[in-house]
Amino acid sequence: MSDALFQIEEPQAPQARRRAPGRGIGIDLGTTHSLVAVAPQGAPPRVLVDDQGAALLPSVVAYIGDAPIVGEAAKQLQLEHAEQIVSSAKRFMGRGAEDIDFHHPYRVVATDDPASKLLRFDVGQGRVVTPMEISAEILATLRRRAEAELGGPVDGAVITVPAYFDDAQRQATKDAGRIAGLQVYRLLAEPTAAALAYGLDRRSQGYFAVYDLGGGTFDISILRLKDGVFQVLATGGDSALGGDDFDRALADALLERAGVASPSSREREEARIRARAAKETLSAAPSVEVRLDTLAWSTTVTRAEFEQVVADLVERTAGPCRQAMRDAGVRPSELDGVVLVGGSTRVPAVRAMAESVFRCRALDDLDPDKVVAYGAAIQADILSGSAREGVTLLDVVPLSLGIETMGGIVEKLIPRNATIPIGARQVFTNYSEQQTGMVIHVVQGERELAHDCRSLARFELKGIPRLPPSMARVEVSFELDADALLTVTARELMTGVKQSVEVRPTYGLGEHEVDALVMESLDHAEDDYESRNLAEARVELGRVVLAVRTALDEVGHLEALLPPDEKAAIEAALAQADEAMASTSGLTAVGLQERRQTLERISEPFARRRMERALRAGMGGKSLAEIERSIADEETLETRRASHVPDVQRPEETP
Amino acid sequence: MVNPSRSNAWEDIDPASDHFAVLGLPRQYRVARDELEQRYLERAQAVHPDRFAHADMAVQRAIMERSAAVNESYRVLRDPVRRAEYLVKLGGIDLDSSDPAHGAPAMGTDFLVDMIERRETLEAARASGASALASLCRRIEDEAEDVFERALADIEAGRTRAAARLLVERRYLQRLLDEIEGATTR
Repeated sequence: MSDALFQIEEPQAPQARRRAPGRGIGIDLGTTHSLVAVAPQGAPPRVLVDDQGAALLPSVVAYIGDAPIVGEAAKQLQLEHAEQIVSSAKRFMGRGAEDIDFHHPYRVVATDDPASKLLRFDVGQGRVVTPMEISAEILATLRRRAEAELGGPVDGAVITVPAYFDDAQRQATKDAGRIAGLQVYRLLAEPTAAALAYGLDRRSQGYFAVYDLGGGTFDISILRLKDGVFQVLATGGDSALGGDDFDRALADALLERAGVASPSSREREEARIRARAAKETLSAAPSVEVRLDTLAWSTTVTRAEFEQVVADLVERTAGPCRQAMRDAGVRPSELDGVVLVGGSTRVPAVRAMAESVFRCRALDDLDPDKVVAYGAAIQADILSGSAREGVTLLDVVPLSLGIETMGGIVEKLIPRNATIPIGARQVFTNYSEQQTGMVIHVVQGERELAHDCRSLARFELKGIPRLPPSMARVEVSFELDADALLTVTARELMTGVKQSVEVRPTYGLGEHEVDALVMESLDHAEDDYESRNLAEARVELGRVVLAVRTALDEVGHLEALLPPDEKAAIEAALAQADEAMASTSGLTAVGLQERRQTLERISEPFARRRMERALRAGMGGKSLAEIERSIADEETLETRRASHVPDVQRPEETP
Repeated sequence: MVNPSRSNAWEDIDPASDHFAVLGLPRQYRVARDELEQRYLERAQAVHPDRFAHADMAVQRAIMERSAAVNESYRVLRDPVRRAEYLVKLGGIDLDSSDPAHGAPAMGTDFLVDMIERRETLEAARASGASALASLCRRIEDEAEDVFERALADIEAGRTRAAARLLVERRYLQRLLDEIEGATTR
């Protein structure tokens, strides 16, 4: 939930989440490729393959036809339609334009909301997508793959994220899961997932380092394994460093060698794709022949040359490794092994780096591409409620969480590497009797100044009682859950006056946007007919209700247009529709459709008279539908604004 | 691990009690490392959210609170300095507060002048290279260690205010050390 970033605690009906044992799936949502694995009812994990027998789904989405194309087919089209085919969407998750320091061929759309830094891409044909929606296409493809395998709906998923992902990146991943129609059981750190797969496989005990260099992210975690408990002691990394950067570095070197000073988008894309292939070949071969068709040019690259090109990038992983060891309070001599994860650890120079930093042997007997998905599948099986032998994962928050104080200085509330869930409280006081609100800026990172850290969100505390300076005391609680996602609640201590919190996630989607996208994705789902139909029927009914109600508000009082008896009939039909919309159970799509048809039939004469009047009034040129739509849009906007009215926090007793 | 006899163990944990009580440990500085780890792992498992994925929302809420309390208690108690500072806090002096009555004791002028001189020494050592920095670093480390030992003796003797003063002193020394580390890793 996007608003979950700051959802205010609200009384929930005591209802148990229903889960379906054995119907949980584990998804490794990767920068370059993604996988889905299952381990139902305690079975060993296995990765699912597509109908071609491929386990790895390239994380590439093509927006060229009506429906997005995902995977290998999309990858094949990349050179032809660079701007419409998005790869490495993970690198954009929870990021803003100013964070993107590498070249990419996509058209970024400026947002009209200055408070939001969410990236949106124009992928052609008037289609604008966010990184979450792109990732959701990948997740939905994997969900369908799992459904075919399980022979029915998936109950929920564990989705892995780099350990070093901050709150915004995690939130974006969770939103993508929801948009893909998945109940996200848990976001699991990739190195922790890998450790789970290894640890269970070998029944290991002791201290382990997990070195995870993927396509776009680098993670390092130090864990202690003891009696089924996987305790992360420290984690670190770089969420913008991976094999992709090796490809780009080699591509740049190739273009330079070819004497191309300012390559076209297409030339650069080709160089990148060929560089990637060359890198893979060089993991096994001493040299490789690289050919660039766009330049009608070819060359030979040796492994030594490649290693020189990427030396700085490989070296960049050493610092976080040493820091994580310090944070964990573990010396290299105490380690029992270093687990290598991620396709980029196939590069011999990377492997050598990991072994030298940790001074111990590398464990790589599980496929480094699959081990994260294995771990996710095991965790998903546990969370689906199956009777698997228990394991406990104790993970940590990778970056300190703080708030901006006077002068832009960060006050840390939760330090990095604290085991999650964890919380912190901070009391704020007023500086004058006139002050009835205050803005709180939440940031994540290790730097002293707020503007050097990641901005997570700003929210405003409102309704502070008028009290003499320092007398109004507002206690704000920050809580990180087991996904390392933040929730903020607030209460006034002196008077018990209700607090309102209004939140703007800096890089996220609003809750309504996520909901709309969830509905949309349900529309497009190829399976799960009933829920899809139900969702469609609800949307349809909602649309008609909104249109009729808008018409009533505008001209419903004009008896010439709407005789009283007809008005009463419409209102009765609206009431029935409302009741149907509000009901959460027992209604089928057919039931909703019937109500919609009734409403349409009863309101049809009114609509016709209205249209005639509109045409007479010289609104010609515009169709009634257009008029309706523009009115409906305004209405939706109003509804959104209205629902942004601050959530209300109920004061609790002081403990 | 899902032991039915322990399934309600979480109800025994009061998230509002002090960190020692949350982990079921005596309220004192000397804690056997193994015992602390053992207690933590037991309780962290007992209140882990994964074990309650199927529970109703009210229970999940209560579990979150307890799980956070257990983790926070562990974070504070496993670190010797935080543990000592926390004992002082339980004794009525909060080093993170500037309240004149219950906050960190104000340090005397002599001490502050001394710190300023140390900072100058640091600048000089920084200018004269890595080995000078390293030896300065060792000296301050020894001193911080000594100050801390004296603080512990005061804590064990129940002299909270004296302990608080020494712990503030240790914080100043630690900040110097952090600066030196920042200078050497840069």
